[in-house]
Amino acid sequence: MNEESPQYRVAHVRRALAEDPRTAEMGVRVNVRGEHLHLSGEVATEQRRDELEQVIVELLPDVEVHNDVRVADTREPARLEELR
Amino acid sequence: MIRIAAVGDVHLGEDARGRLRPALDHLADHADVLLLAGDLTRHGTVEEAHVVADEFAELPVPVVAVLGNHDHHSDQADDVTKVLEDHGIRVLEGEGVTLEIGGRRVGVAGVKGFGGGFAGKCASNFGEPEMKAFVGHTIEIAERLRSALESLDTDLRIALTHYSPIPETLRGEPPEIYPFLGCYQLGEVIDDCGVDLALHGHAHFGCEQGVTPGGTRVRNVAQPVIRSAFATYGLES
Ligand SMILES: [Fe+2]
Ligand SMILES: [Fe+2]
Repeated sequence: MNEESPQYRVAHVRRALAEDPRTAEMGVRVNVRGEHLHLSGEVATEQRRDELEQVIVELLPDVEVHNDVRVADTREPARLEELR
Repeated sequence: MIRIAAVGDVHLGEDARGRLRPALDHLADHADVLLLAGDLTRHGTVEEAHVVADEFAELPVPVVAVLGNHDHHSDQADDVTKVLEDHGIRVLEGEGVTLEIGGRRVGVAGVKGFGGGFAGKCASNFGEPEMKAFVGHTIEIAERLRSALESLDTDLRIALTHYSPIPETLRGEPPEIYPFLGCYQLGEVIDDCGVDLALHGHAHFGCEQGVTPGGTRVRNVAQPVIRSAFATYGLES
């Protein structure tokens, strides 16, 4: 079989992250650069950020995952927008 | 001034329990009402709904919500709604609610909404049954928003949806997926009925501010967009 093209690889990873019940994440960006896979976006907790990697490692054991996903900022807002 | 707090896409589950509570404990300093723009859970289970209910329980202001696509994922939307309503969260799907705030009547009309895309780049009610079912759902929900808005006789009217009524607040998302993020039919109803503020979520990579073709302010309050526990807006009454 031919080497999987980056487009299909992105599609398979995104689909796994959305459909695997452990992650159920649609809000994560996936970029493939050769054997490197970069994740970005935001999730609710540190645990969910780590779960992304678990799902990907099972799917693609040979890629190196760079997990730049951030955890949601849940502080009080600093401003009120006045709509006039 | 009427102060509206709003957030969508909190995607709560057991692992996220209590995350918003420190900010919510000071909610009365910021707002007169809290609106939740859907995707309150991750998988749409009853267990997750209980986490949501606990998170937003016993707040000093009324809490009004719509559900999102994630809240439908386990086919338990009715049970999720019941858990939230039993804990004092008003869940809207084609209804309006009237709140008394500072002597003014504030109406909130809510629906989940759906995709379909925006004028000129959208799906049509044509062809295979699957396609007609998709667009039929879009149209049905938009008409439910219309009746909800029409039922409100209030000083201010707010439209609360999960999917977006305009493409502008989706900027940051790939344009190819806009048809899965919102539909023009919601915007059209909002413009037909006259609304003071439209709030939505769903587009985690979108941006906060936009305006409908008719001039109604739209705010995308998805938590990854607003980057705080909730956003606050002040409306002149
Ligand atoms: Fe979401
Ligand atoms: Fe969503």
